[in-house]
Parts: sequence; C-alpha cells; structure tokens
Amino acid sequence: MTAFLELHGVVKRFGGLVAVNDVSLSVEQGQIYSLIGPNGAGKTTLFNLISAVFRPTEGRILFQGQDLTRLPTHALARLGIARTFQNLAVFKHETVVNNLLVGMHSHLRSGPVAAALFWGRTRREEIAARERVEEIIDFLEIEDIRDHPVGTLSYGQQKRVELGRALAISPKLLLIDEMVSGMNQEEREDIARFILDLKDELGMTVFMVEHDMGIVMDISDHVCVMNYGRKIAEGTPAEVAANQAVIDAYLGSSRSAA
Amino acid sequence: MRTGHFKERTAQLVALSDSKVVWSFAGLLLALVLAAPFLIGNYQVTLLVSAMIAIVGAVGLNMLTGTTGLISLGQAGFLAVGAYTNAILMMDHGWPVWLSLPAAGVVSALVSLLVGVPSLRLKGLYLAITTLAFAFIINHVILYAEWLTHGPNGIFVSGAKVMGVDLQRGKALYYLTFGITVLVVFAALNIQRSRVGRAWMAIRDHDIAARVMGVDLLRYKLYAFMVSSFIVGIAGALISLQIRFVNIDVFALILSIEALAIIILGGLGSIAGAILGAIFLSLLPEAIRLFFDAFADTNSSFYTTYVYEIRGITYGIVIIAFLRLKPEGLIGLWRDVRKYWSNWPLAY
Repeated sequence: MTAFLELHGVVKRFGGLVAVNDVSLSVEQGQIYSLIGPNGAGKTTLFNLISAVFRPTEGRILFQGQDLTRLPTHALARLGIARTFQNLAVFKHETVVNNLLVGMHSHLRSGPVAAALFWGRTRREEIAARERVEEIIDFLEIEDIRDHPVGTLSYGQQKRVELGRALAISPKLLLIDEMVSGMNQEEREDIARFILDLKDELGMTVFMVEHDMGIVMDISDHVCVMNYGRKIAEGTPAEVAANQAVIDAYLGSSRSAA
Repeated sequence: MRTGHFKERTAQLVALSDSKVVWSFAGLLLALVLAAPFLIGNYQVTLLVSAMIAIVGAVGLNMLTGTTGLISLGQAGFLAVGAYTNAILMMDHGWPVWLSLPAAGVVSALVSLLVGVPSLRLKGLYLAITTLAFAFIINHVILYAEWLTHGPNGIFVSGAKVMGVDLQRGKALYYLTFGITVLVVFAALNIQRSRVGRAWMAIRDHDIAARVMGVDLLRYKLYAFMVSSFIVGIAGALISLQIRFVNIDVFALILSIEALAIIILGGLGSIAGAILGAIFLSLLPEAIRLFFDAFADTNSSFYTTYVYEIRGITYGIVIIAFLRLKPEGLIGLWRDVRKYWSNWPLAY
C-alpha cells in the first residue's frame, strides 16, 4: 500500500547550495507529522517543494500515489493540499470573509461571463461557499472580525485567517509552516487545539514545520529532524528527543566543542 | 447609528445590497439620470455623455489596475482599438452599429492578448512600460496601416442608425451611453463579488498565495486583460460615436494618464470610486470654466490662450492634493461622510 504522502530522494539545489539533500520520508493518513530542525536546515524549502511552489532538482513527491513534481502550483488545491506560509501571505486589502472565500476557489466553477451575470448556478454556488466560510469562521472563533480588512488585524489574528483560508480548500493534507511563531501563550494553545480538532474530528493529515518544541512534543504523532538539508532522525516525539544526533544538531556535539 | 439590521439568510450576505434604503437611493439616482435630458440643455447633455463614457473606461481600467494590480499605461491604445474598430466596421464595411459596437469590445479584448501574454511575468513599473510601448505601437499601426485606418486622415463616423433613430444625436446617444454604463457597472459589481473578482484581488495582494489557493495565474491575468479591454474598447467605440471622428490625436498618451488619475482619485480597486473619479475629472474642466465665468472673464485673452495649461495645472494640483491628504480617494471621502452622518450627533 502506498503511503499518503511520500518523498523519495528529494534534492533541491540553488546554484551551488544544496538546500535539501536526498530526503525521503513518508506521512500516513491522519497523522500529525512535524518537521523540525535548526535555522537554515531546509525545512521551508522542503515545504515549498511539497506544495509545488519550487520544483525539486531530483527525486519524486507522491501524494496518494500521484506525482506532484510535474503539476502546476495551482493544481494542488484541487487535489486537496493546502498550506500556510511562514511569513504572512494574506490578501491584506480584503476582508476576512473574502480571504476565506479565495480558499474556496477550486470548489467553484463560474467564469467571467457567468460571474458578470451572477445568476442561477453562480449565485447558488456563491451562497453555498459563503455558508461553508461561515462554518470555518465559527470553528476558528473569528466571528467578530469577519468584515475587517485583514491588513488591520493583529499578527495572531492574521495567522488565524491564513489557517482559515487553507481550511476553506477542505484539504486532505494541511501543510502548516511555523504557525505559532510570534504568538503569545494563549494564542499558541488555541492553535494547538485547532490542529488537534482537525485531526480528530475531520481526520485531516497535518504536516507542520515548527520551532516551538512544546507544541511539537505535545501534539505530534511523528517527528522528523533535518539539519544541513539532510534528514538526521525521525520517530515518535520521545524517540527524537532522546536521539544523540538531534541533541548534537541543536546543542552542538561534544567533539566539535572540544 | 443604524441598529436592528440583521441578516437572516446567507443570500442576504451575497447580495449586492440587501438594504432597501440603498436600493431606493440607487433607483432615485437612476431615475434622475434618466430624466436629465429633459431637464437640462444640450450642452450639459453632451457633458454627461462624456462623463458616462469616462465611467465605462474607468471601470474597465479599474478591473486591470485597481482589482488585479496590473498597472496599465495602455488605456489610450485600447480606446483607440475600440474606436477604430467601430469606425472601420461601420464606415468601410457597412456594419450596423449594434454589431460594430460589441465587435469593438471583442477586437479590443483579442488585441489585449498581444500585450497580455508577454506581460504575464511582469509586474509594477515593468508592466507599465510594456503597456506604454503597446500604446505607441498602436499609434504607429494606425498611422502607417493606411489601407485599414486611413492613416493621418482619420475616419468620419456617421449614420449610426438603429430602426431609423440616429444614435449619435443628443438624447439617443445619451440613452445608449446610459444603458451601456449601467450594464457595465452591474457586470463589474457582480464580477467583483464572485470567484473571478476574488481571484484577481488575490493576485494583486499576494500572487504566490493565490496560486497555492488554486488560482491559475496565467488564466486569470489574461481574463483581467480581456474583460478590462472589452469594456475599454466599448468606451472607445462610444467616443467615436460621440465625436463623430477618429484620428490619432484623439487617443494621445495623456488619455492613459488621465484614466489612471481617474481611478487613483476615485480610490483604487473600488467601482464606486472609479465612477466618482470619472465624474469628478470629466466635469472638472467645466468647473474651471464656471469659476472663470464667475470671477473673471472667459473671453479674456488669458483664459482663451492658456485654457489647456490651466486645466493641466488644476489636474496636477488636485491629484497631488488627494495623494497627500486623502490617499483613499473620493470613495474614502464618501465613507468618512457616511460614517459621520450615521454616527451623528456622536463624535465616533
């Protein structure tokens, strides 16, 4: 049986720099899979490869058996892959509702002419999309800011909108890139709760890059550690925390210290 | 402050407006504009026609520049393509105006692909320069393709008759322009609240995020070029009907600048803003004339000699004043006024 998401020998070079070097991993359906590593380890690059923003130099990325490396970026939403960005990538001049509705894009059908008429199917699908968006707003507890332009919101709220926008895709696989950095304790706990809810209630598979060890150790089913573009360890949170290579990567090894 | 205004169905959230007050005011305004030709003189009717054509052109440009964020200095080029298509089809090929008018939009939309495709990887200033080059190319084509465009001689446009009514005369032209303006504005409002309009805004605000959300950049940028140019082409055709003559001087580069000025003054990305900006800038010369009438002599040699300079300088001052004092444009000003009155007499 093929895994839900599989990477085979993925390499990404930028000129002479090897950002991701021969990484293979497999994510099972319904898992919360965390990718950790020191700064510059290549986590975000790997993330951009999975979401088809970059093309790998070598290797294959299979989602439910389908090779993602040849697909255009915009085709992934229809497959059910959504992501958030490390630095905010919201549509800042638009309202929260409109940001979330953009996430519904691949579920809607109307072209420019149908949109100009706004009649029949177009109107019906807009109403249905709006209903779905209201559910997400309800889930993320952002009712009070739904009509605010996203650019005017706080950092934590904008992150939450970005998560909501990804959820509007109704993804099977949700990629989350450093969601909680820059958030306070309460906001972090909210996000951790949302992610657990997504897994438990909707059976969503979550692949996340995270620096916050508290969250990684608390909610992950499986942790993968990268350093200098390579995978150096993987396993359950407890296994990874006890792994010597991981401790060396984060704290420096005694050999180099000597 | 308004209270007790609840939404009970999702359809109300999707509607253009579910407020009876808004629709009543819009209806009143439309009725007023409909009755206008019977209330004002011929000269004022001509002014209003110009203003409505400016609205059509501005709403079209706003889709490309305001909503999708693709800055275009090619407006004059697309207007010229629309005007010439209409003129050539009507005068040289004997097409009836009800066919040549939409054809002007279609040809303009197709021509926009010529500039749209190479522009897909360009943003900001680079795109602005590309579209500027496009306008120059159109100029040259018009000048040198004499077999098609009659070169520097231009084309006289007359005989736009539908069922015996001359659409180029006063009231008929007024109602034709009015009808097209209303259609274009509603189409633009509908697109703005639908999947296509949101995809455009997403491209403007963050194109990588837009792609990840499933927006095909290529397709939607071309849609923006085509829909915008279709509308601008129709505006061009209306210009050819109104001034009854097309030649290269009608579509000078300054038109592109004025069009950008209109949507920036109105408030980028807002359809209501484009409308307000178009009305404001097309009636500004008239306001200047009235000002001179009231406080000086419009027959004075100063006014008659420098009328274009006075107009240009006023444009400049108004634009600078807006950018400095109210960057959100006229629509921002309108929102402030509305907020003030809905909260009155409280200060916030």
